[in-house]
Amino acid sequence: MPSLFAACDDNNTSVTGPSGSATLNLTTDVGILNYAFALEQLEAAFYTAVVGSAAFSGMTAEQKEVMTDLRNHEVAHRELLRAVLGSSAIGDLALSTTAVGTAVASTASILKNAEAFEDLGVSAYNGAGKYLQDAANLLVAGKIVSVEARHAAAIRDLREGLSLAGTPAGTRFAGDDVVNAQGLDVKLEPSAVLTRVAATGIVTSSLSIGTSPTITAPTADAPPPATP
Amino acid sequence: MDNTETILGTLDPDVTQQLVSRRAAILHGASVSSRVAAGLAMASVPVALAALATEAGAQSATDVTGVLNFALALEIFENEFYKAVLGVSTSAAQNNAFAPVRAQVPASALPALQQIQKHEAAHVAFLLANGATNSLGLVADSFDFTGNRGGGAGPFARATTELPFLLAVAQGAEDTGVRAYKGQAGNLLANRAVLEAALRIHSVEARHAAKIRRLRRATGAPGVVKYSGTISGGGAAAAGAGNITPAPSAGVVAAFDAIYGGEDTVTEAGKAIASLPNLPAGFDAAAASEAFDEPLSKAQVIAIVQPFFKPTLS
Repeated sequence: MPSLFAACDDNNTSVTGPSGSATLNLTTDVGILNYAFALEQLEAAFYTAVVGSAAFSGMTAEQKEVMTDLRNHEVAHRELLRAVLGSSAIGDLALSTTAVGTAVASTASILKNAEAFEDLGVSAYNGAGKYLQDAANLLVAGKIVSVEARHAAAIRDLREGLSLAGTPAGTRFAGDDVVNAQGLDVKLEPSAVLTRVAATGIVTSSLSIGTSPTITAPTADAPPPATP
Repeated sequence: MDNTETILGTLDPDVTQQLVSRRAAILHGASVSSRVAAGLAMASVPVALAALATEAGAQSATDVTGVLNFALALEIFENEFYKAVLGVSTSAAQNNAFAPVRAQVPASALPALQQIQKHEAAHVAFLLANGATNSLGLVADSFDFTGNRGGGAGPFARATTELPFLLAVAQGAEDTGVRAYKGQAGNLLANRAVLEAALRIHSVEARHAAKIRRLRRATGAPGVVKYSGTISGGGAAAAGAGNITPAPSAGVVAAFDAIYGGEDTVTEAGKAIASLPNLPAGFDAAAASEAFDEPLSKAQVIAIVQPFFKPTLS
């Protein structure tokens, strides 16, 4: 059996309720990986909508390549986590097609939302990795988070032409708004991440933390800024 | 060795125990390096065990301080590399060596390289402030960026005179850093604060790597160098050095092969990615390889970077 199941205590694990809602037990690797699985469901749904959107057809070849790749990668992340979790996986989250439609209404909104989702994903994995107990599960998370960071850099780089405040020209891929003076990337605790997820209005299922990690967070959150 | 002893019985007991547990993990679906997989596929137990021994032995430095010191050495290497490229090294010799290629860097790319160097310097300072020791006493002149242990005129000398070559080397350095941190994360479970910091540095290196790839693709690198900044395929092909003319030497190709070895895996946590449900049309092996980055062991990283260090790494 995969090592994931060695870490599962079968009591108070993540519970899926009606309408795809989920209560996460973050004291177990199952809970942490379900947390990641929820985020990947959101990202995969977003990019799937992007590639199918009217705006996509008007994108540059470079933008299309990036969006198609990100769709492929996020779906792969989602499905791997689903497979690793097996019968412990939470169900499919209910999503608002209206909210998704708004998010992909234009190339500008797509890029803005993509940047927010990728930085949020990096924040989430960077904050949750330390709560994993099994090295094999940490490795799975590690293999995913660096790809999310690549995504974040690519999307941010695509938005260079907007000359957004806070990041001098040419630096946005790893701007001072996400990488601090110690050279450390953004990081959020799970509760802060879920608050941001709820704020998108895209996930209509209730996603909550049933049991918080027992380890005290060693550092304050380093949140990504509100995406300009 | 008499006929009652096994191959395992002739090995050091510590290595044996690591091999047994590692082998058990592999039988239960843990991912393996391509060498181990090749050995197992060939039904060649001695080959597989030899490869496992290398992996097992390479993970023996599990103390957190050891990981911090190793990370520091790599960060100093990267920092001094970029400082030399930018002409801000404390070593005039290093600055002078990179003067020819520095003149070729377009103004539009300069801020990115400066931002990357700023981060590498910050990582050095952070690690020194959080328990790492520069035990080798590494300074700017501790490095031979031509890749010849201090002899100069090594296989990477073209990085000092040709922009495409330089960017490919920078890409390789960043991707090696990502893989090195990823390979050490499991050794940091004993200290959650350090683990979190390492993850937050690891993702920054991945941002760097993605930006370098995008710079290269925008200036003529082949399509395998994705605009998404991800690593497509594995081995030397994943370096995407097709825009380097004349083609890189065999030694450089071998280095890229080591840097990207195993990145083409399409199996994760024992699952064949292509066999997962709900994949979109057009999802191929390249996409499966891009979606996940792979670790390198400490020994593998040392083998890659040692030619650039005058002191001997361990």
